[in-house]
Amino acid sequence: MRSITKKTLIHVGISFVLLLNVLPLLIALSSSFRSVKNMTNPMQLFSEFSLESYKVAFTKMHFMQALGNSLMLTVISVIVVVLFTSMAAYPIARLNNRLSKVLYLFFLCGLVVPSQMVIIPIVQTIQGLHIPSSQYTPILMFITCSIPFSSFLYTGFIKSSIPIEVEESALIDGAGLFRRFWQIVFPLLLPVTVSVVITQGVWIWNDYFFNMIFISKAAESPLPLAMLGFMGDQTNPTAWNVLFAACFLCALPLLVMFAFLQKYFVGGLTVGSVKG
Amino acid sequence: MNSAVLKKTMYWFVVPALLMYLVFWIYPILKLFQYSFSDYNGFIQDFNYIGFDNFSQIFKDGVAATALSNTLIYTLVFVVFSNLIALGLAFLLNMKIRATGLYRTAAYVPTLFSAIVVGFIWSYVYMPDSGLIATILSWFGYDGANLNLLGNYDSALYAITSVDIWKHIGTSTVIFLAGLQTVPVDLEEAGKIDGANAWKITRFIRLPLLATSITINLTLSLINGLKAFDYSFIMTNGGPGRATSTLLFEIFRMAFREQQYGKASALAVVSFALIIVLTSYFVLKMNKREVSA
Amino acid sequence: MVKTKKKMTKVIAGVTVLATSVALLSGCGSSDNKESGKDGSKNVTLTMVVSGNKAADGQDFELDVLPKMINEKFPNIKLEVQKLPDDQYNTSIKTKLAAGEAPDFFRVWPRMGSAASIIDLSKAGYLADLTDLPFMSNITDGARTDMSNDGKVYGIAKGIDMLGTYYNKDLFAQVGVTEIPKDWESFLAASQKLKDAGITPIVMGDKDPWWIQFGAYQLAANTVYSADKDFDLKLQTGETKLTDPSWVKAISMYKELYEKGYIAKNSLGLGGPQATQMFIDGKAAMIFDGTWDYPTLTAKGAAEFERGFFPLPGNEKGQPVWQAVSTAAGWAVNAKTDHLEEVKQVLNYWFDSNSDLFKEWVKLNPSISAFNGVPLNNDLYKESYELYQSSGNSSYFANQMWPNGVADNLQVKFGEIIGGRNTTAEDVAKAMQSKFDELWKK
Repeated sequence: MRSITKKTLIHVGISFVLLLNVLPLLIALSSSFRSVKNMTNPMQLFSEFSLESYKVAFTKMHFMQALGNSLMLTVISVIVVVLFTSMAAYPIARLNNRLSKVLYLFFLCGLVVPSQMVIIPIVQTIQGLHIPSSQYTPILMFITCSIPFSSFLYTGFIKSSIPIEVEESALIDGAGLFRRFWQIVFPLLLPVTVSVVITQGVWIWNDYFFNMIFISKAAESPLPLAMLGFMGDQTNPTAWNVLFAACFLCALPLLVMFAFLQKYFVGGLTVGSVKG
Repeated sequence: MNSAVLKKTMYWFVVPALLMYLVFWIYPILKLFQYSFSDYNGFIQDFNYIGFDNFSQIFKDGVAATALSNTLIYTLVFVVFSNLIALGLAFLLNMKIRATGLYRTAAYVPTLFSAIVVGFIWSYVYMPDSGLIATILSWFGYDGANLNLLGNYDSALYAITSVDIWKHIGTSTVIFLAGLQTVPVDLEEAGKIDGANAWKITRFIRLPLLATSITINLTLSLINGLKAFDYSFIMTNGGPGRATSTLLFEIFRMAFREQQYGKASALAVVSFALIIVLTSYFVLKMNKREVSA
Repeated sequence: MVKTKKKMTKVIAGVTVLATSVALLSGCGSSDNKESGKDGSKNVTLTMVVSGNKAADGQDFELDVLPKMINEKFPNIKLEVQKLPDDQYNTSIKTKLAAGEAPDFFRVWPRMGSAASIIDLSKAGYLADLTDLPFMSNITDGARTDMSNDGKVYGIAKGIDMLGTYYNKDLFAQVGVTEIPKDWESFLAASQKLKDAGITPIVMGDKDPWWIQFGAYQLAANTVYSADKDFDLKLQTGETKLTDPSWVKAISMYKELYEKGYIAKNSLGLGGPQATQMFIDGKAAMIFDGTWDYPTLTAKGAAEFERGFFPLPGNEKGQPVWQAVSTAAGWAVNAKTDHLEEVKQVLNYWFDSNSDLFKEWVKLNPSISAFNGVPLNNDLYKESYELYQSSGNSSYFANQMWPNGVADNLQVKFGEIIGGRNTTAEDVAKAMQSKFDELWKK
């Protein structure tokens, strides 16, 4: 009996804390379901249900086009990040010598440098290499900026969870290094690959900075950049409802992903790091 | 055996990542060092080298000091609260109760939104008069019109730090949860049989086993705090006055508004040094504790 | 064995393809520009990046009307336009310029105003010389000179902008203010009347710090530039200082408005859009803003009322009021554009006073036209504009003669005053002067 009341108390406690946590989002969600001109206090939750704001936001940000651009940028970047960093982590984790340690720290150092600071030299470097500024240029930076954290995750996971012994059979088989990695080690990295995909995918999806720097055509803008256009509308200066609708449209694909892959988001996120 | 598996040729695997990292990250950072000794304004390519002038200038006008103290306060508040709240949540969510899936979702969802979106939403939360907090306070008979968290000198910095904490808690909680799940159940059972109370189990069994996730979380939040930029940029423009001007925001302001890219680079170089020193000191210290715990 | 080998080759091939595709993809984005059109002329895509707020869907001149009409006139020319908020625009355009990746057209500000200014950018060689374009003679002298450096024209202004006080005529009438305040004393009196009646006299969006300039420059026009039109030229030679009494006076007058509670006390928590919304909802009687915000400030809010517009009178009784009137921001052309011919075609059509595009532009342009013979669009500004034309008592926006960064310091330091710190008007002036000394090298 006592344990039941205790559990109820815990439930009440958690619910309260988490309700506070999602309250701002709830308000935004409820506002987004109001008609454009409904400016009554947004605290009257879900007092109206209209898709008008979504319609406006949808057409104004050219949603389908922006969605396609976002998908393209994120998918390509994440695939390359997974390939490059899992490969890089393999020798760093396996070889236990000074060079490995240096490389490990060298990659890790990149984590502390914020990209906003270095943007001008970065752009000059890209220009110096005669890589034209296009829709695809941000991908270079998405990959580069993902290298430190991803290789950190992969290295930790390989060290802690992939014993060398698993490669023995392949070695007896006479398999080369390349095949050993791709056929035996890489599939075993699935859990940490999931967490790399999630952590890097989320930031790349949400980033507006590199997109803003490299992309100059409206038709090539991904979602966050299309969102920027909602700051300050001339005829409806505080169009909160439309703005919030745009916010949710922008996050929608991630939310859908999250709904399906919840287990991985919450469970798999840190396999690599925590065990390391 | 080992020598057959582990050949130096493995290092070829590092090359693609290393190449990109060197070309697009390390080389530009080195260029920043070069600019820090020049009067480069960010767009006219002919510039002069002016020695350490930029560095002395930064410290002269006191701007860097304000930005530094703002950044340190931000970081301290951010590290302490995001981790304490996340740790508490993780303990709660690790209990064998129903609906933890739903709860975890609720804890994690804020991390999915981009900084711009979060900035929009919280601008509404903080708005005087009709904002979320003002409205709730007015239900309790408090005049919300006077509540101006972002516009007040004393509260603005804490207000934007809270936003960052809010967005970050989900990630930290999940890392703690993952750590908690490595605590073997039988160890806890053994503790209970030995008559240890909940606090003792937490203190002597769970916390030591959480050491790795604590290190990771503290390090990530430390770096995150020292790199704070987004909400100063999106929500307050560094204001009122310089109340929410962090190091990174100040660098940004110098580089792009005052057209002093050289001076901004100098401050950036100083900030790198600071971030690296603080972070490595911290990580080393944590590693020691982790081993001894 | 054979099978595994095949698999491995596949994997290798896959990796290589992915690795190279990134580099390749980055390369092919801009190659689709140069296909031939039907009539033999090249198909060209021109790019434009500008800053500002979007107008209602389909009616934004730069985003919607301009590309459509250009394409109708020149089927081979496609114009791609992107509009960013000011801060993002400044970061992005500078980075693009530094990298030599600037768009064909982009936003510039007259003289030294703002971060992307005619003088700074033309010195760096980023702007194409537009002096010889045929329509230049149609632009008023002032607007042309403000967009020039060393005798060459580098930009085309949107027009002329005035700073002023938008006011709610109904609220004024309600408290019995029947006459527009003509000097500082009567302005304060009117504000007091509004305040006594429980109406917020003035609302400002000081969370967006540049709003501080909107009030400050109007006052400075009266205290500084009415007495000495060349104040800033002398500032550059060291003859005058921003710490001189005239500037300190402008700042203290502005400070007075905050101290007496005439400006909504939460202004630091309100961004421009929220402040504007309060005005059009009838929750505040006045707002200091420029003519460029015409569409926003005349949009329909929660309350129906008649708007008026007058220059903020920072003058003493008996003195004439001076206004802050200036050349507006405009467009410049990238000196390194690959399509100078097409760019010129576009400009010549756009600014030919007889073209349909020109007429459409004039119709949608909130700024007052800088082209000779184009009548004033918006009646709201009629009085102020006539006063400006007849008296000539006006000065430009002060920041256009300062290195960018001085105005920033004005905002930061004045923000301290609004925030209730113990900063004095002298402190603000001192901070501005020291920033000026730091940045002015010539």
